[in-house]
Amino acid sequence: MNLIPWRNKRESEGGELSPMVALRNEVDRLFDSFVREPFGSLEWPSWGGGQWSPAVDVTENDKEVTVCAELPGIEPKDIEVSVVGNQLILSGEKKESTETKSKGVYQSETRYGSFRRTIPLPDGVDTEKVDARYTNGVLTLRLPKTPQAASKRIEVKVT
Amino acid sequence: MDSENTITKPAAEEAAMAERTRCGCCYRPNVDILEQGDELLVRADVPGAKSDSIDIHFEDGTLEIRAEVPPRYEGREEFLLREYGVGDYYRTFQVSEAIDSGKISANYADGVLTLHLPKAEALKPRKIAVDAS
Repeated sequence: MNLIPWRNKRESEGGELSPMVALRNEVDRLFDSFVREPFGSLEWPSWGGGQWSPAVDVTENDKEVTVCAELPGIEPKDIEVSVVGNQLILSGEKKESTETKSKGVYQSETRYGSFRRTIPLPDGVDTEKVDARYTNGVLTLRLPKTPQAASKRIEVKVT
Repeated sequence: MDSENTITKPAAEEAAMAERTRCGCCYRPNVDILEQGDELLVRADVPGAKSDSIDIHFEDGTLEIRAEVPPRYEGREEFLLREYGVGDYYRTFQVSEAIDSGKISANYADGVLTLHLPKAEALKPRKIAVDAS
């Protein structure tokens, strides 16, 4: 049991059940996305009201956790990133340009208005050193792991 | 999933696969199309694309937008959440209005491609002088 390199302490305290819990969460997530997908391609009305949330990718390697969100057409100053406890909060507003409001609209598929997304962070992330960059409409957040979390790899010695 | 309003992007159904040299999924960019005075304005969301990798083609009333997106991940990382795919964008439109193809202009900022398609002179109202002979 102790030889299994596990991601963090809290999860390993869940005992043998935690891989099952992880699997169940994964199935739930796939089910959710499958149910939502047919509706995801619907055209949203552009009345600007209502909140939307951007889709995110969260990846992890030995050194850091990376969060990527596609936020096209949003000025970097309108994006707010904050960390509360172990939750990363992305919020902001996609402003509707004046011409969208006043001119004849043939087709409208993009969503305007305020957005908000809360992303749970794994343990062992140094939330003081978050690096946020916005390039070509993609927001990339790099959250380095704490030295303790980064070096939690157990070497198996051959005797 | 904290909201049912999470924005996703659909896969491009009309992608010309035979012309693609890179593997991976091709996506259909979301667009807004507006009529603005003497021109049509097309705004397409192509986040991740670089301005020099966007290809716009207009011929016989068909507007074709193609944008290459470089891979965002190295392949060594583990995904904790994966809600959207990264890949090229492709979409075509049939434009019924007569467009002055020589004057089409485009600019790209913050992941949004904006195309200005000016209407052809023939469509603009014109006063015709009558010569008295």
